[in-house]
Amino acid sequence: MSSAAAVTDASFEQDVLKSDVPVLVDFWAPWCGPCRMVAPIVDEIAKEFEGKLKVCKLNTDENPNVASQYGIRSIPTLMVFKGGQKVDTVVGAVPKNTLSGTISKHL
Amino acid sequence: MSDAPSAAAAPSTESLEVIRKFAETYAQRTGTFFCSDSGVTAVVLEGLARHKEQLGGALCPCRHYEDKEAEVSQAFWNCPCVPMRERKECHCMLFLTEDNPFRGDTQSITLSEIRSHTNGSTP
Repeated sequence: MSSAAAVTDASFEQDVLKSDVPVLVDFWAPWCGPCRMVAPIVDEIAKEFEGKLKVCKLNTDENPNVASQYGIRSIPTLMVFKGGQKVDTVVGAVPKNTLSGTISKHL
Repeated sequence: MSDAPSAAAAPSTESLEVIRKFAETYAQRTGTFFCSDSGVTAVVLEGLARHKEQLGGALCPCRHYEDKEAEVSQAFWNCPCVPMRERKECHCMLFLTEDNPFRGDTQSITLSEIRSHTNGSTP
């Protein structure tokens, strides 16, 4: 269904923080309406930036530790990680152009 | 997929019906509209019904909480939340103001519409 790989509390360090390329993480929850609107946009982003950006999604209900560690409140929240650090945050359902613009700054 | 919510934990028809009616009445009362994508509305209503059943309060399903029980008793994010009551701000996109580009034309949704979006499928 989705080209964004699922990450968990257990795999976050390896998959996101230790990634060689920048990573976009979609923090979502199963019963969050706007998350449904963001998911296809995130998939398009994954295709558009293939090879230059890794795209992951994290279910905050099942992985509360990472969500809390990064201060996730409103869902969906999208974060860009580079070299193990959080470098940008986008909160809420945003148009694809907004997200592309944010990501491009870090590639 | 592992992110499909378990169907076994689905809220009862009664709980969903209480939330559905509340949402319709509240939209009419505040002059707000449901999302043009009824899947958004359906998922949020089911999320609210789940929280109401599990926690005793209709905690917003579009937030991450350190402690859901504590949040319910604090009530800030119980639907309709304080930002909605004070400023008609619903980041969950359940109640959208007239000028919102995502708003639909309706203030109603049927139970079968809700179930068609949430039953056994990945939201």
